[in-house]
Amino acid sequence: MRIDKDSGTQIPDVDLGKSPSGFSILLRELIRDKVAFVSLLFLFLIIAGVFGASIIMDQNDIVKVDLFALYEPPSATYWLGTDYGGRDIFGQLIIGTRNSLAIGILVTLLTGIIGILVGLISGYYGGTIDNIFMRFVDFFMVLPILMIVIAFVTAVPGYSIVSFSLIMTAFLWMGIARLIRSKALQEKELDYVKASKTLGTSNFKIMFFQVLPNLSSIIIVTMTLNLAGNIGIESGLSFLGFGFPESTPSLGTLISYARNPQTLELRWWIWLPASILIFVLMLSINNVGQALKRATDARQRRG
Amino acid sequence: MAKNNWSKFLFLLMLSFVLILAACSGNEGTSTEGNTSTEEGGGKEADEGTKLENGGMYSIEDFNNVKTNNGEAIEGGNITFGLVSDTVFEGTLNWNFYSGDPDAQILNWFDEGLLTWDENYVYTNDGAATYEVSEDGRTFTFKIGDNVNWHDGKPVTAEDWQFAHEVIGHPDYDGPRYNSDFTNIEGMEDYHSGKADTISGIEVIDEKTLSITYIESTPSLLTGSIWSYPLAKHIFGEMAVADISSSPEVREKPIGFGPFKVESIVPGESVTLVKNEDYWRGEPKLDGVTVKVISSSTVVQELKTGGVDLISDFPVDQFPDNAEMSNVEYLGAVDRAYTYIGFKLGTWDAENNRVSPNPDAKMGDVALRQAMWHAVDNKTVGERFYNGLRWNATTLIPPSHPEFHDENNKGREFDPEAAKKLLDDAGYEDTDGDGFRETPEGEPLEINFISMTGGDIAEPLARYYVQAWETIGLKVNLEMLEFNTFYDRVGNGGKDDPKVDVYQAAWGVGIDVDPSGLYGADALYNFARWENEENERLLKEGRSEKAFDLAYRQEIYNEWQQLMVDEVPVFPTLYRATLSPVNNRVLNFAIGDGTGVYLNELAVSEESPIKAE
Repeated sequence: MRIDKDSGTQIPDVDLGKSPSGFSILLRELIRDKVAFVSLLFLFLIIAGVFGASIIMDQNDIVKVDLFALYEPPSATYWLGTDYGGRDIFGQLIIGTRNSLAIGILVTLLTGIIGILVGLISGYYGGTIDNIFMRFVDFFMVLPILMIVIAFVTAVPGYSIVSFSLIMTAFLWMGIARLIRSKALQEKELDYVKASKTLGTSNFKIMFFQVLPNLSSIIIVTMTLNLAGNIGIESGLSFLGFGFPESTPSLGTLISYARNPQTLELRWWIWLPASILIFVLMLSINNVGQALKRATDARQRRG
Repeated sequence: MAKNNWSKFLFLLMLSFVLILAACSGNEGTSTEGNTSTEEGGGKEADEGTKLENGGMYSIEDFNNVKTNNGEAIEGGNITFGLVSDTVFEGTLNWNFYSGDPDAQILNWFDEGLLTWDENYVYTNDGAATYEVSEDGRTFTFKIGDNVNWHDGKPVTAEDWQFAHEVIGHPDYDGPRYNSDFTNIEGMEDYHSGKADTISGIEVIDEKTLSITYIESTPSLLTGSIWSYPLAKHIFGEMAVADISSSPEVREKPIGFGPFKVESIVPGESVTLVKNEDYWRGEPKLDGVTVKVISSSTVVQELKTGGVDLISDFPVDQFPDNAEMSNVEYLGAVDRAYTYIGFKLGTWDAENNRVSPNPDAKMGDVALRQAMWHAVDNKTVGERFYNGLRWNATTLIPPSHPEFHDENNKGREFDPEAAKKLLDDAGYEDTDGDGFRETPEGEPLEINFISMTGGDIAEPLARYYVQAWETIGLKVNLEMLEFNTFYDRVGNGGKDDPKVDVYQAAWGVGIDVDPSGLYGADALYNFARWENEENERLLKEGRSEKAFDLAYRQEIYNEWQQLMVDEVPVFPTLYRATLSPVNNRVLNFAIGDGTGVYLNELAVSEESPIKAE
């Protein structure tokens, strides 16, 4: 099924010889760009591997303190050595990556949903509604976000992946809302929206079934790039000591071990793997994101 | 009765290494006063020998507390003292008003008490003042040396000493010193409440002679209960008492009669001192000292590059990686502190200022507490986490008080089977098959355990205890809290959090062995909120006149240590060592008490600090 832009009604798929749809352009660009394609494959591998492995692994088992295996260097038993609590770094890396990715993805999705809703509504209706929403956005934007997140994180007792994600979401949805709003403002001036309105289509339907699909490529691009940023914020907070407790490993907690100069100097296996992994993850997500971004601009396309 | 006994129990220590009293530790295990350098060389070799055998294990016995002198002293010279602190120092630079350990570290350089003490913390007669005790043990007559003068040249007089007591006892006094040591002075309470203009028990006999009469004679008087820090009356005499602690003479241009004089202060960062040529023990050999604050994470780098010669406190967990640092010698002493695990057995009754035990407390069953002690293997904890520089604690009087620490009392040794048996016999059995024991009434038993963050080892250590208790079938929930929140919830302010059942904390103990300020029924610091008749009796006996007889006092405290092993309101987990690396160019330096090495003799053998190879 496909949505006819002119009538706003759904009509059976017929090749009308139109220019290729947004999705296929994105996909084609990704395949043409070898670096981005490899990055994408790599990302899928990591995500599948990490989530797969963490089903078998028991988090409680991995964070168990073992007095007789403190600071073990990498060996056959401990592939990446152990930390100062005798805890296996490899296991922590798997669980930690899963936790970090889970937060990154969850925050990206939640901020995406809120941002799209707010942006679309204020952009589409404009006027007073737009004004009210945008003043809210302005308010949130001037807040020193990192400091407030730190305060919240310290105040919430016994927080988990979900509550941590919610706290971050509460302060990170504005960027995407602004972006969607500006695009929606442009879009609503186009003829197909006007025609659809004239035909009496409900605003809800126009917004979510006609305007939104036309913004999908830009949404995918921003959310991909946001994913990298959100993983980064989680790691940063954990590094500063405001993230998860040690019993919930994340990439940030692993890297924060390097705050101890002795660990930094003498025990690379504790922090280096996590640092490399985070570097590679960010690079891959960015490569994919950049390729997608190019795809939305016909002048830069390679495909 | 002792309450809020600050001078004896100076600081609540963080579990980490931030606030350890570096310069005042006992020296058991370092039996080598006046050691020659050859003997020490031998000791060092032995150190390396044991290290190889035990795979990186160290023992406090291998450390000396007096610096080996290498080379000849040069004329003058300056040294840098690293004040290890992750926060800035407060800068209340007067013994009568300071509260934080960083300030005390600075005060040590330019001011001192009129009395000194030996390695058993008993006052001696070789300080700036000498003392005599009357026959009934209540009146002390002090004679201040004729050559003891303030930095401005005015003599330190008996009036200054009396003035210190009058300021601390004044209702407007805003420092932390007024406590049972002062209320024990005759006439002090009348003065404090405004009924009298002077303290009747304190009498100035002549310019340099003072006598103080105490209400109760106790052996504690000889071990730190006499306030021996005078306050310069010619400077502070005209000020209102409430204004003294914030006056420039305390904050910016502090005064003392110690070996060095304060030249300038960069608030919170550093203090520059020059020698006091008029020092009563003799002119200092050094020209000056710079005290600067360094953070615990840069200590090693500062030491290696010669940025500091001496430091206040070395993070013990960094020692194994830096044991071979070539430009320093490590001095070591047994710290006057221990880590312990406490059980909440009641609440604080603020109205009556005493504990109010709860007979139905979750941890109320003594067998449960004993079992939890048997379940933890502190010997391994000390070896693995601290390379032997903290070690299994047996009783609540640490070996820093060698006269009173009962070597023969082994505490409760690691024995999970015994722990399980204790629990089985007491009726704690797993009735619903979830792998955890239920209470004898069949209710699920969930124990809430809190511990402090700080330092890398804090969390794994606490988690180890949780695991150890799990193996004997107890379900324990761990919560890691930051220092201030932790003590709030434990009941530092008198409000006990009912959700806390077990906590891990650490004490610094005072130079007097009397533990009533920590475990008496009227002590706020009795966080366990535990009360026991026998305990009260023994604590009282330990302070009685009869206890002037050392053998009797030892017997009483041995009994007390055993009582605590039987009743387990808290149990000690680890004793600690303090380490103090000293640059090789430094001569005549010692840590600990009663070493007979004083700061005016401190010297250097080279112009600039030696750097690590």
